[in-house]
Amino acid sequence: MMGKLLAAEFMKIKRKGIWFLTVLGPIGVVAMQMVNYGVRKDYLFGQNDDRWGYYLDNIHSFTPLAIVLGIVILTSFMSSIENETNAWKQLIALPVSKMSVYLSKFTVLSILLLTSSVLLMLFTMAFGLFLDLGGEIPYTGLLKYSFYPFFAALPVLALQLWIATVSVNQGVPITLGILGVILTYAGFTLPDWLIWKWPLLLNEWNEPLINVLLGIGAGVLLYTAGMIDFARRDVK
Amino acid sequence: MEYIVRTENLSKHFGKEKAVSGLEMKIPKGEIYGFLGPNGAGKTTTIRMLLGLMKPDSGRIEIFQKDLKKERLNILGRVGSLVESPSYYPHLTAKENLEAMRKILGVPKQRIAEVLEIVRLTDACDKKVKGFSLGMKQRLGIAASLLNNPELLILDEPTNGLDPSGIIEIRNLIKSLPSECGMTVLISSHLLSEIDQMATTVGIVTKGKMIFQDSIEAMRMFSQQSVLLKVSESDKAWRSLLGRGMKAGLDSGIISLPQQSDEQVAEAVRGLVADGFSVYRVEEEKRSLEDIFLQMTREEQAG
Ligand SMILES: Nc1ncnc2c1ncn2[C@@H]1O[C@H](COP(=O)(O)OP(=O)(O)O)[C@@H](O)[C@H]1O
Ligand SMILES: [Mg+2]
Repeated sequence: MMGKLLAAEFMKIKRKGIWFLTVLGPIGVVAMQMVNYGVRKDYLFGQNDDRWGYYLDNIHSFTPLAIVLGIVILTSFMSSIENETNAWKQLIALPVSKMSVYLSKFTVLSILLLTSSVLLMLFTMAFGLFLDLGGEIPYTGLLKYSFYPFFAALPVLALQLWIATVSVNQGVPITLGILGVILTYAGFTLPDWLIWKWPLLLNEWNEPLINVLLGIGAGVLLYTAGMIDFARRDVK
Repeated sequence: MEYIVRTENLSKHFGKEKAVSGLEMKIPKGEIYGFLGPNGAGKTTTIRMLLGLMKPDSGRIEIFQKDLKKERLNILGRVGSLVESPSYYPHLTAKENLEAMRKILGVPKQRIAEVLEIVRLTDACDKKVKGFSLGMKQRLGIAASLLNNPELLILDEPTNGLDPSGIIEIRNLIKSLPSECGMTVLISSHLLSEIDQMATTVGIVTKGKMIFQDSIEAMRMFSQQSVLLKVSESDKAWRSLLGRGMKAGLDSGIISLPQQSDEQVAEAVRGLVADGFSVYRVEEEKRSLEDIFLQMTREEQAG
């Protein structure tokens, strides 16, 4: 059943600008560094002997914001597809379970965000090579900085999807989304338990993997709660 | 009798308001079941429960003699539906809209062209639904409901917002389904004239309760016809009839004889003539279904 639902979901996101945003996100993040290095390359090269590592840190300074913003916009676009003409009643009256419908929405969003992550890795590497940073390409760091933020942001994704799907008034998820983006932006100064801080990959042990594991754990919990709530509710 | 849909004591409330209460619906196979009731009677709520979109507070639903709670997916695979205003994806074309549903239903691709042909949208199939008229959207909704060749078709007020020619088209289509495709159809409406022209069985609901459920003929029988007499000196004539021991009513100069056999009517006329009254007109009063419907709902409210 999931295969059929996914095929239908990918059909429905056509012409919504969703794929465009998926590509735009990573381009935006790398473009910031193109400007940064374009303006003051020599200064930045002088900051740290590990030029690749320093470059990756710079890239990562915008990734969390981009991913949280991306999640807010993509979930809002996704839920607008069914909410616009209340197509939920038509979709759920088909021989599909509500849980699998919810899972298909979540899966599509995850695939889009993972696509963004892959593109982020490719663009980061390409611009890094262009800058001629020297030394070995730090593949491990590249992978970490491209994919860890996605996993650390899973709770935000699960929460936004939940709220956007069950809210009659779409002002609610948008407000929550804007709040989340602000929290991520101000993440450095905030306590560690806030899920919006997690994509920054900061914690007191200096081990980004903790954020990834926490993200997956809390993400699964919030996803399950959202799915059960969606299945339990009467269809609008 | 084989029932395609059977509900037992079906109830649903919103807050304090009972939208559906103790509803017992029985739809025999091959019928066009007209589900009739004024706005807010609980038709859509009932239909949403039949499709598993809403959970009943209490009661049971059997479709194809299977419990909806236990075999929802199996049942829905054999049901087509259109609930309230049509749902669609405005940024997709008519064909793409159907394709998105076809992928889930797993029916052959050619079925899309077939259902588009049935609702006569073939020419507009590559246009975005955003620009469709309400009638076209409604027809697209009906096309979608036919995709899986359903054994049970559930249409909630399908002619809402259609122009007269569109209404006739849809009506003819619906009428042809049971004989051509062996379908059973449940169609709801707040307009009696709609149901009158399509349905073979009728269920009348008001305030969440089923107040009548039988064949359309039985419903027509419910209309007690009377014979109206226009005579000279109606007041005296009426008294003379009563004097002869006949049941008669008098309303603004017209005498009415409720439910009389031909022989009794003849006798009344003969009597009137013998007593020297002139009989100008003898007419049968045919009450419209609208009147019966109003009477039924009024009785329900009074009782
Ligand atoms: N989702 C809902 N929330 C609250 N009340 C509802 C809801 N759906 C229907 N109702 C109420 O239930 C009653 C029956 O509505 P409905 O089933 O739509 O009637 P009909 O389709 O016969 O016009 C109405 O009084 C309506 O206001
Ligand atoms: Mg209704």
